[in-house]
Amino acid sequence: MPTVVVMDVSLSMTRPVPVEGTEDFQRKHLAAHGLTMLFEHMATNYKLEFTALVVFSSLWELMVPFTRDYNTLQEALSNIDDYDKTCLESALQGVSSVVQQEWGASTPCQVVLVTDGCLGIGRGSLHHSLATLNQRGDSNRFPLPFPFPSKLYIMCMANLEELQSSDSLDCLERLIDLNNGEGQIFTIDGPLCLKNVQSMFGKLIDVAYTPFHAVLKCGNLSTDVQVFPRPEPVVTDEEIEPVPKVINTELEVVGFIDIADISSPPVLSRHLVLPIALNKEGDDVGTSLTDEVEDENSANQIAGKIPNFCVLLHGSLKVEGMVALVQLGPEWHGILYSQADSKKKSNLMMSLFEPGPEPLPWLGKTLQLGPISDAKENPFGDEDNKSPFPLQPKSKRSYAQNVTVWIKPSGLQTDVQKILRNARKLPEKTQTFYKELNRLRKAALAFGFLDLLKGVSEMLERECTLLPDNAHPDAAFQLSHAAAQLKLASTGSSAHSVYGLNIAPLQTDFSGR
Amino acid sequence: MSEGAMKIFSESHKTVFVVDHCPYMAESCRQHVEFDMLTKNRTQGIIPLAAISKSLWTCVVESAMEYCRIMYDIYPFKKLVNFIVSDSCSRILNSWAHEDQNLQELMEALALIGPPNPRADPECCSILHGLVAAVETLCKITDYQHESRTLLLENAERVANRGRIICLTNAKSDSHVQMLEECVNETIHDQNKLAAGSDHLMQIQKCELVLIHTFPVGDDSLVSDRPRKELSPVLTSEVHSVRAGRHLATKLNHLVQLHFDLASTTITNIPMKPTLTVCDQEEQHANTSANYDVELLHHKEAHVEFAKSGEGHVSNSREPSLKETVTLKWCTPRTNSVELHYCIGAFRISPVDVNSRPSSCLTNFLLNGRSVLLEQPRKSGSKVISHMLSSHGGEIFLHTLSSSRSILEDPPSISEGCGGRVTDYRITDFGEFMKENRLMPVTESRYQMDGALDVPLGRAKDQLERYTRYWPMIISQTTIFNMQAVVPLANVIVKESLTEDDMLNCQKTIYNLVDMERKNDPLPISTAGTRGKGPKRDEQYRIMWNELETLVRAHIATSDKHQRVLECLLACRSKPPEEEERKKRGRKREDKEDKSEKASKEHDHEKKWQESERLKSIEREKEEPTEAEVIKDSPDSPEPPNKKPRISVEDVAPAEKSKGPMSLLALWTTRIHTANSRKHQEFYGRLNSVNNKAELYQHLKEENGSESVENGKASRQ
Repeated sequence: MPTVVVMDVSLSMTRPVPVEGTEDFQRKHLAAHGLTMLFEHMATNYKLEFTALVVFSSLWELMVPFTRDYNTLQEALSNIDDYDKTCLESALQGVSSVVQQEWGASTPCQVVLVTDGCLGIGRGSLHHSLATLNQRGDSNRFPLPFPFPSKLYIMCMANLEELQSSDSLDCLERLIDLNNGEGQIFTIDGPLCLKNVQSMFGKLIDVAYTPFHAVLKCGNLSTDVQVFPRPEPVVTDEEIEPVPKVINTELEVVGFIDIADISSPPVLSRHLVLPIALNKEGDDVGTSLTDEVEDENSANQIAGKIPNFCVLLHGSLKVEGMVALVQLGPEWHGILYSQADSKKKSNLMMSLFEPGPEPLPWLGKTLQLGPISDAKENPFGDEDNKSPFPLQPKSKRSYAQNVTVWIKPSGLQTDVQKILRNARKLPEKTQTFYKELNRLRKAALAFGFLDLLKGVSEMLERECTLLPDNAHPDAAFQLSHAAAQLKLASTGSSAHSVYGLNIAPLQTDFSGR
Repeated sequence: MSEGAMKIFSESHKTVFVVDHCPYMAESCRQHVEFDMLTKNRTQGIIPLAAISKSLWTCVVESAMEYCRIMYDIYPFKKLVNFIVSDSCSRILNSWAHEDQNLQELMEALALIGPPNPRADPECCSILHGLVAAVETLCKITDYQHESRTLLLENAERVANRGRIICLTNAKSDSHVQMLEECVNETIHDQNKLAAGSDHLMQIQKCELVLIHTFPVGDDSLVSDRPRKELSPVLTSEVHSVRAGRHLATKLNHLVQLHFDLASTTITNIPMKPTLTVCDQEEQHANTSANYDVELLHHKEAHVEFAKSGEGHVSNSREPSLKETVTLKWCTPRTNSVELHYCIGAFRISPVDVNSRPSSCLTNFLLNGRSVLLEQPRKSGSKVISHMLSSHGGEIFLHTLSSSRSILEDPPSISEGCGGRVTDYRITDFGEFMKENRLMPVTESRYQMDGALDVPLGRAKDQLERYTRYWPMIISQTTIFNMQAVVPLANVIVKESLTEDDMLNCQKTIYNLVDMERKNDPLPISTAGTRGKGPKRDEQYRIMWNELETLVRAHIATSDKHQRVLECLLACRSKPPEEEERKKRGRKREDKEDKSEKASKEHDHEKKWQESERLKSIEREKEEPTEAEVIKDSPDSPEPPNKKPRISVEDVAPAEKSKGPMSLLALWTTRIHTANSRKHQEFYGRLNSVNNKAELYQHLKEENGSESVENGKASRQ
């Protein structure tokens, strides 16, 4: 999940903060301090996260486009000037367009808004934006909810009391509500000081940026892994099951499936599965002394030489063109597979299915998947040339069962012509003739379209009179038989309009089959 | 599957069609259909048969059927239809049960009803009968509702009961319509009271009434359109006044899209080459190739990526409206099935014009198992592949492919991470393992001994557990898995139960290995990393037998037959008498010692450590036959005649304590200890220990400070 840090650089951020021993300490310094901590944390523990920095006052500017280079972000942070008043709406609009340009509308993003809770005055202030919320059309829609899945974290460089003394807190809460409740407001606990800012950002890190560690298991083989980005809780039906589902920290492989059988399944999200070395408790937060980095390097080298199940699994999945089905929770599964990027670097990737007993109709119920050793004969064939997948649905869809639709005249005309064409090739086409005739008869009976039956009956009678002299004598018999039967059906009398009864070919002396 | 944010039990879970079967419906819709289209090669002078026209009834029924067709195609589950016709009474054509939910059932039931009788007494007939029945039927619980309620237990009230009534009738006036609405409102009120006191009925929480007034083309409508209006907290109603014939069909097509959150995609540029024309159109010229368009319906979420692109913003207007179809271009070359696309959604489709030639050609092409990528037409000429059409087991899905930048780009390669430098993984073997642990759909249910349902996926997990009890990951860690001769045993021993044949095969494998040993055949022991020749031949065999024993031992608990395989192995495997062993060990040590100073001992050492570990574990568990006679060279050798109780070996016991003949383990341990002790400074704690016990946290007694840090450092080494 990429992150956009949106930093308030309005004048109110330069309000001084009384900090012992320092002169000229301002709220923006607190903000920068907190963000530095966040960036340092990401640089060590959340390296793959893309982060962008946007600053805003009455205008907004993208200071650093999405990057994994935290030094650049840090540098930009220390080069921020002060501007005029706060205008949140345009800033959020800016975030929205920055994200969509880079990631489209389906990539979830986290927006970290750093502000002091002074929400501007007059036009462009948040009050004004919220007051005019109902007077908007498509052209000037309020940017929330963001068009992409998002979390909006609001980091206030103010404490609760201060925010409550104005209606700032209410307005900010409104913002979270407008974002469909996706997000959270953080305020400083106690007096404004470096320590309390740290603890506030510490809370944000706990909520949004703790790496997800898990154990990947396959029977008795196992390894510790980090899953990136961390999988977010999922709600499938807010009414039936409002509690979000969270994935297990034990990812258990339950079996394997060929890529051709799993067949590009739809997934909720994709994640890298990176093996991690055991017992690295020492390097949690903030400790980035140089000798420890060296330690880490040599530790990495040693870890590189110890066989790891991830690497084995990845290699074999890649070679065999298979995926591993992995259990993520009760009635929740995903797949592990090898994914190569454009530079031919490949990696173990995990995709999450939607939670539920049957995420893919062509695999059937997940719990009903069993080992092939259960079968008397290998369902994949001795030469691996067949497959028990995909599962066939019990009923066919309309396009697979030759349904009759006469809504457009052409549909009806085509069906009548098929009968006529076959009628002219009697007796060779007797079977198809009757098949098409019966299809038309059934539909006409169901739709109560008896006039059609009468019409087709007349048409067949005419065909009978038009038969050439050299026609097979059976043709005339079949045509008049069919015409008579249709005529009977067209009366709607219950004896002759039974839906399930087909018109059978007339048994003649010629039809010596 | 992917149904977006739709709730399972929304209004769309239950749809009731109430269709007017009164005499008036037998009227012609006054829209004519030519059906006698003379083909060009016919003789002149024949007057075609007169065009016919559908009755209002036919128009209504076929439009309703088309609504159902699209709905069943896109939602074969969880979206249900109940069909009611109304004349002098109401007749319910099907139930909510899943087996009643398909077109064939409905068509058959409709055929049985037949067209309305124009000569019946119009006074006895009314659509009201049907509307009352519709409300009653909405109170009936569906299988899905029942299942969810049972599953949710105390939260059963979360299962909502909502529904929609689509009434197709010919009303007399606006006040007639109002009367119908009031009737529905009252009936809901009454039925809800009834349902409150019943276990098998559910109260209706929301009902959407869609009244469609239809009349012959050319007539003036006596009823006016009215958008959705709330009649009570439970009931909303809307009125559509539509001319019969094609207009009615179009209306219902729009409604099905609104009711089920559908959107339309037109596939353009479909080449219909001879290979594609599998349709039975004989008069088609086989060598003409033209490009066709086909329109498909599907859940609107398949267009989620288009919502962003500027103009097509998601509108938040209350008034439901249909978007225009989105055009996607057929894309060649096609994709192959072994490619795993990053797909963010897959949605069932239904062709708008199901049996038109282009539609059926496209669907047949897909049903034959081929997939096609679809491209977004862009002004700039850049090619963006955004969708894929593919069939899975007779169902066609529109897959949404991610076309935006990946947040996972440029990840660290797996070779840079843990285990990335190891080069001798058993990739091929694990590939075989994966194939043996492939999954398949199991249709029949099995039961366990205690009567509980035996879940197939559980069996798959059990199998994985058995197969991995002993599974070395790298080639240099194993001997037996590098030996063709062991394969028959290794393949069989992991099974849940062994047949007599399996057991025999295992025994044969063991005898075969004994034979190899007697012939002194070389073994594929890895010498990678070790200097010199590596272990001697008899040493190699010992390693091999130990490993094989580890493998078999991991499975003895599975069954008696597994246990017997172990017994056979123990009886047959070579165990050199200790005396000889010790001699060899001494000799070997001398050999090694010469080079040991120069040799980088690290790997060597590690191997030996592994070996000693393996030995330790084995020796801990088993009794050790000591007699020389135990080594039989005949496959028919009996079980070892006598076993000596195992020598209790303390892992850390100092060597000098062991009196008499030293065990192999003791020898090893001593050696390793001395070797190790030379490499590092002795632990502070151990040096100052009393009886091998060191007191921890001594510094706490002292003044804490720099001392504790030093302690920390020392213990880290």
